[in-house]
Amino acid sequence: MRPEPWRDVLRSASKACVVGAAASVCAPWGCGETLTAPIAAAHGQDARPRPGGTLRLASFQDVRSLDPAGPTDGLAIQAQRLIFAGLVDYDEKGHVVPELAETWEVADGGRTVRFRLRPNVTMHDGSELTADDVKRSAERALAPATPNPNASYFDQIVGFEAFTARQKDHLEGVVVDNRYVVSFHLKRPDATFLPMLAMPTLRPVCRSAGALYDDRWTPCGAGPFRLPPAGWQRGMTLRLVRHGAYFRPGLPHLDAVEWTFNVPLLAQRFRFEAGRQDLLRDMTQPDQSRFAADPRWAPFGGVEANTRVYGEAMNTRMPPFDHIEIRRAVAAAIDREHYRLLKPAYLTVLTQLLPPDVPGYDPDVRGQGYDYPAALEHMRKAGYPYDPVTGKGGWPEPIVYPLYDQGLLVFTAQLLQQDLARIGLHLDLRLMSWPAFLALQERPGGAAISQANWEMDFPDPSSFYDPLFTTASIGPEVSYNVSFYSNPRLDELVARARTELDPSRRRALYGEADGILCDEAPWAFAFTYHGYYLRQPYVRDLESRLIGGGDPTRAWIDRESDTLERAVGRLLP
Amino acid sequence: MKRVARRLLWSLVVVWTVVSVVFALNDLLPGDPARMVTGPQARPADVVRIRTELGLDRPPIVRYARFWRRLVHVGRPLGEDPRDDAHATCATLLPLGPVSVHVDFGKSFQMRQSVAEIVAARLPRTFALALAGVLAQLALGLGAGVLAAVKRGTWIDRSLSTTVLIGIGAPTFLVALLLQYVFARSLRLLPLDGFGATAGDHLRCIVLPAMTLGIYGAAYYARLIRDEMIVLLRQGWVRTARAKGASDWRVVVEHALRNALVPVATAVGLDFGALMGGAVVTETVFRWPGLGELSVKAMLNRDGPVITACVVVTSVAVVTTNLLIDLVCARLDPRLRS
Repeated sequence: MRPEPWRDVLRSASKACVVGAAASVCAPWGCGETLTAPIAAAHGQDARPRPGGTLRLASFQDVRSLDPAGPTDGLAIQAQRLIFAGLVDYDEKGHVVPELAETWEVADGGRTVRFRLRPNVTMHDGSELTADDVKRSAERALAPATPNPNASYFDQIVGFEAFTARQKDHLEGVVVDNRYVVSFHLKRPDATFLPMLAMPTLRPVCRSAGALYDDRWTPCGAGPFRLPPAGWQRGMTLRLVRHGAYFRPGLPHLDAVEWTFNVPLLAQRFRFEAGRQDLLRDMTQPDQSRFAADPRWAPFGGVEANTRVYGEAMNTRMPPFDHIEIRRAVAAAIDREHYRLLKPAYLTVLTQLLPPDVPGYDPDVRGQGYDYPAALEHMRKAGYPYDPVTGKGGWPEPIVYPLYDQGLLVFTAQLLQQDLARIGLHLDLRLMSWPAFLALQERPGGAAISQANWEMDFPDPSSFYDPLFTTASIGPEVSYNVSFYSNPRLDELVARARTELDPSRRRALYGEADGILCDEAPWAFAFTYHGYYLRQPYVRDLESRLIGGGDPTRAWIDRESDTLERAVGRLLP
Repeated sequence: MKRVARRLLWSLVVVWTVVSVVFALNDLLPGDPARMVTGPQARPADVVRIRTELGLDRPPIVRYARFWRRLVHVGRPLGEDPRDDAHATCATLLPLGPVSVHVDFGKSFQMRQSVAEIVAARLPRTFALALAGVLAQLALGLGAGVLAAVKRGTWIDRSLSTTVLIGIGAPTFLVALLLQYVFARSLRLLPLDGFGATAGDHLRCIVLPAMTLGIYGAAYYARLIRDEMIVLLRQGWVRTARAKGASDWRVVVEHALRNALVPVATAVGLDFGALMGGAVVTETVFRWPGLGELSVKAMLNRDGPVITACVVVTSVAVVTTNLLIDLVCARLDPRLRS
């Protein structure tokens, strides 16, 4: 090792230097420097879309796979939705709308969904989309050797078990009726099938994908953008270019969409201000506040949908939360307004399971709420009365609360600790890595209480109720019913709601289920979080979607420099 | 020669030990790699299926034995048969005509690519950054150290010593952000981050990360060289050289500096070996796609094959550079040969 005779001197001197260096960085940077002005659009608000240009995006994350049948993540879904068009899609409200399917009909009491494809849809490889492609793509995605994390979402298709157990070569429930008509046969009526089908998983892929999943396949579909050769530099950039033969005439307007991956937050801000990144989504909390407060930038900020629920999951099989009154006490003891004040612009208090932008959310439901006297009363009923004046009583042992290092959740954990201490429940916060946290939380007997959250997979209440609170979601090793809550009545309501095709009757069933959850409190619902993003003014018509971020299909770039480049480009051979 | 052979044997033992420990840790650490692949919202049935697909349902000892059996093996040249799935994750280590020596780290759980391919793509980048970083450290550190020693007690010495303290005291990320702010954002002379597409881009992109590593490491070298040189310049044989009429330049460079380089060579070797494991912070801030960034992500995602491959590469780099240091030091100082 290096000889370090000066170690002690250096150590104390270096501390002083760090302070000095930090001050020198801070001075020009975050402590008083004004934000760069937005780059104005070249034309007025009523200008018509102009073709060309590249939409440049960035993320601090990376994409693992672009194959809709492969491992996926939030960022990958955004790209997959551009490369692969589905039979159906969601609109900005989450309603299912036709895409590659011109029309569909539900027959056989809801057990058959028959799609008529648009004729003359050209895929990226130049071939025409047919019903055979739909069936082949579905079988490829659900084949047992495919590393598809969403395969079991489609277990309601007839023949799923036989196909995934390799007993049958083909998926019996997907039937090609003719060149442009394909039918999905379900074991029972399923109101969630269409919303699930709008997920990227079963979207048609080109024939080059073959019948079986292969990691080396170059993604190819029928979406508005295609992946050019060498368009994806793993871990660095992804460039998608316009699919000239996209089935919607005149779209997309953009020549390309580019992502740069693994870009730290500060670097994203620099790029954005310099006009080298057109959208800014990942930013530090101070930057968010500064942009939102700046009148030049405020009109170009937007909020994303509230589709993620955050709460405190209580393990109903572990003491003290195996006692319903203790769970009710927790639900009543949390002052959710304190949570909201952590990020007032982005957090919304949540007193029921469904976040506001999820279909089925009922703003009139009272649900759970902060009621300190009631919380003390629930503790008394549980047999652990607590006297807030003397601080005596309550649960005698400290309760371990595992958490992982995610900024906001570290703060909410401390607020929870303070709130529960006021009713005699003392939390022992234990910080750990994300994989360790996940392993502990999902294991029976792993964590008595822990922070839990869930993002909507598809716009339907079932996306929350089924995985989080039904008995079927409790597994021997992995369980995503992390409160290990089991209630036959709730199971029945959720199962009936899934097969119920009448919207009003479904709403009533989920309403009763929500009442049970709010009362029995396997979770104390806490808040929902919506992201904030900024765009440069020259990014026009970027439509927001409920799932998968902004939709660049109709977006266009209205920037002076691009106008010049386009003009020069036309003059050059 | 015998000494080198003995060192090589020890190096193999070191690599085997380190990799075995990492292999065991991969299994002992809490967290399910299959769960990290599927994501937190995947259904248990899908997690179980993917765990089987990744081979994680096999006992650890079976996977350990398979890893060593596959790590270096002989096979047909790659590319001859595109349907040869048995060697789909291999890379050629040594082509030997009709056969070739393959290296196989398996397939990344997360990226679903051959780990050998991933490492092969990133290793030259990390090597380039490590080399550029060490060169920057030496260029800055040696110059400052020698100058401070020769001008000992003057304002030059004091200024350089203060600068060195700032270099040591400032954390890498702070230096990196400061350089980004000044050279990329304000002056727009260099790219903010990234790797670029052409050789020219790569050169421009490597300047700031190399400077970051250079500033941080140069401070140590400057301190080290200054102290060594001050001691050496007082030695009797240096006075003798002066008395014989040797010029100041010759005394400093040929007599003092050459002897002062022995501890520097040791430090450079250790630094280079460590940088080959990846300058994690620098690579992350500058989006330099090397092994450091890769190994951190692999660790966070419990991507066992990638973690193991990074450890193999790092430990091989460290033991190799240590071996080279011994040879270089023996060359610089004949007393060490015995």
